[in-house]
Amino acid sequence: MLEKVNEALEFIKEKISLVPEQAVILGSGLGNFAESIVDKIYIPYSDIPHFPLSTVRGHAGRLVIGQLSGINIIAMQGRFHYYEGYDMKETVFPIWVMRLLGIEKLIVTNAAGGINTDYKPGELMLIKDHINFMGSNPLIGPNLSSMGTRFPDMSNAYSSRLRDLIKSISYKLNIPIREGVYASMTGPAYETPAEIKMLRIMGADAVGMSTVPEVIAANHAGMEVAGISCITNMAAGVLDKPLSHEEVIKTADEVKDKFIKLVISIINEI
Amino acid sequence: MSYIDKINNAYEYINNILPCRPQIGVVLGTGLGTLADHIENKVIIEYNSVPDFPVSTVEGHAGRFIFGDMEGKKVLAMQGRFHYYEGYSMKEVTLPIRVMKKLGIGMLILSNACGGLNKAFSAGDIMIIKDHINLIGDNPLIGANLSEFGPRFPDMSQTYDHELIELCKKIASRLNIKVHEGIYTAVSGPNYETKAELNMLIVAGSDAVGMSTVPEAIVARHCGIKILGLSCITDMAIPDALVPLSHEEVVRVAEMAKPKFASLVKEFIKEVNIHESL
Repeated sequence: MLEKVNEALEFIKEKISLVPEQAVILGSGLGNFAESIVDKIYIPYSDIPHFPLSTVRGHAGRLVIGQLSGINIIAMQGRFHYYEGYDMKETVFPIWVMRLLGIEKLIVTNAAGGINTDYKPGELMLIKDHINFMGSNPLIGPNLSSMGTRFPDMSNAYSSRLRDLIKSISYKLNIPIREGVYASMTGPAYETPAEIKMLRIMGADAVGMSTVPEVIAANHAGMEVAGISCITNMAAGVLDKPLSHEEVIKTADEVKDKFIKLVISIINEI
Repeated sequence: MSYIDKINNAYEYINNILPCRPQIGVVLGTGLGTLADHIENKVIIEYNSVPDFPVSTVEGHAGRFIFGDMEGKKVLAMQGRFHYYEGYSMKEVTLPIRVMKKLGIGMLILSNACGGLNKAFSAGDIMIIKDHINLIGDNPLIGANLSEFGPRFPDMSQTYDHELIELCKKIASRLNIKVHEGIYTAVSGPNYETKAELNMLIVAGSDAVGMSTVPEAIVARHCGIKILGLSCITDMAIPDALVPLSHEEVVRVAEMAKPKFASLVKEFIKEVNIHESL
C-alpha cells in the first residue's frame, strides 16, 4: 500500500511547484469551491497512479491545487465512496497521499440528511463527532506504522480547537452553523424511517455515506480535522415524502455561496 | 462474467420454461415452503438447473422455483432462498429478485421466520413488516449502479407498500388471524443473537430479528417492485427470558403457524389488485 501511495505522491509532486499546506474535500454540490482557487492546476484522478475513479453524478474527479488568499491549498473535487464498490483503503487513499505531501490540516465537507428534527434543509452543521455505521474500517489490515499507531485515539477526531475557531467565524460572518453528530451508513439506498429513528436514538444528528472513513484515516495519520455537513434534505421518515438525489443536489446548489464563503474564511484563519 | 450477464442467463433459462408471465413473486421462509402445495398447474425449476444461480444449503429450505396458478393469479414462488450467512455475497443473495423483475413481476411477498422482540408477540404469531433496519453490515446495491433497474440512490421511505399492508390487515381481520405490525431488523447471523445484542436491537426500535429479507427488499425497491413482508414469529427473543434456541424449534413453530400463514397469503393473492398495484 505504501509503495502505491508513494508512486501517487511522486507523480503529484512533479506536477506542482508549491507545497500545499491545507486540504479540502469537496462534497456533493460544493465542487464550485475550486473556482475560488487561483494559479491553479488540475490533476484528474485518472492520471494519478493507483488512484481509483469517481463515478457518482455531481462529483468531478480531480485534484485542484493552487492558492487561496495566498495560502497553498489542495482541493479534492470528487471523492471515493464505499457504496461505489471501492474498498475502505481505496476510499482513503487520497488522505494518505495528502499526508505525505505534508498536509497537516484537513477540512472535509459533505451533503447529509437531517435526523435532528430541529434542523432544516439548507442549514450547515459543524461535525462534532461521528458514528461509524458502515460495518468496516479503513485501518483494518496491517498497520501503516509510518502513518500512525495501531490503535489510534478518536476522542478528538474533529479538532475542538478548529471547532471553536469555526464557530467564531460563523458568528462573525453571520452564517449560522449547527453542531452535531454525523453517522455514516454504507448506502447507496437512502435509509429507511426505522433506521433513521434508530440513529436518532443512538445520538446522531445527521446521516450520510462518506466522510467517516476519511476522518478515521486522517486522524490515524495525525492530521487535524474539521468537518462540515450541508443538510440538504431531511432524513427518511422526518417528512412525509420520498428522498431524491435531485433534491440533495438542488439544496446543495442553493447553499453553496454561504458554504464556500465560510470555508474560505476558515482556510484564511486556520 | 458480469453480474448483468448472470442475471440475463438465469432469466433467459427460466423465461423459456415458463408458459406465461408471472404476476406475483413469493419468497417462502424457513418452514413456510409448503405454501407451494397450494399452487396448481405447477412448473418446477430447481435452482441447480438454472445457469449462474447459487445453490441453497440451509436445512428446512428446498431450493427451487414453483410457478403456477394460485387463486386466479400467476405466481412464481421461491422455495428456499440464499442467505448472506451461507457465504453468498449480497449480489448473489438478491440475484433472484433481479431475475423476477426481468420476468415481469411487479409485486413480491417476502416471508421469513424470525425472533420476536416485542413483548406483545407470542411464538406462532404473524407480523406484517412495516419497515426494516439493516444491521447486516453490507448492502446489495454497493458497486456500480445497475441503472437499467433503478436509480443510484433509491428512496427507502416506503419500502413496504402501505396499500398492501392495509389490504393484508383487512384480510387477516376477516379470517380472524391475529397479525402484528412491526419493524424487522436483519443481522448477518448465523449465530443467534446474544442477550446484549437483543437488548440493543430493542432499544433501536426493532420488533423482530432475523437473517434474511432485507437484502431482497432493498433490491426489490431499487427496481420498483411493490413489497409485502410477512414474518412468522417462531420464537420469542426477549433478553431477560431467553431460553436456548434450536433450528428444530424454529422449524416446529413455523410448521404450526403454516396453516394460518397459508390462508392469509392465499386470500391476499386472491384479493390483491395487481393491475392497480403495478
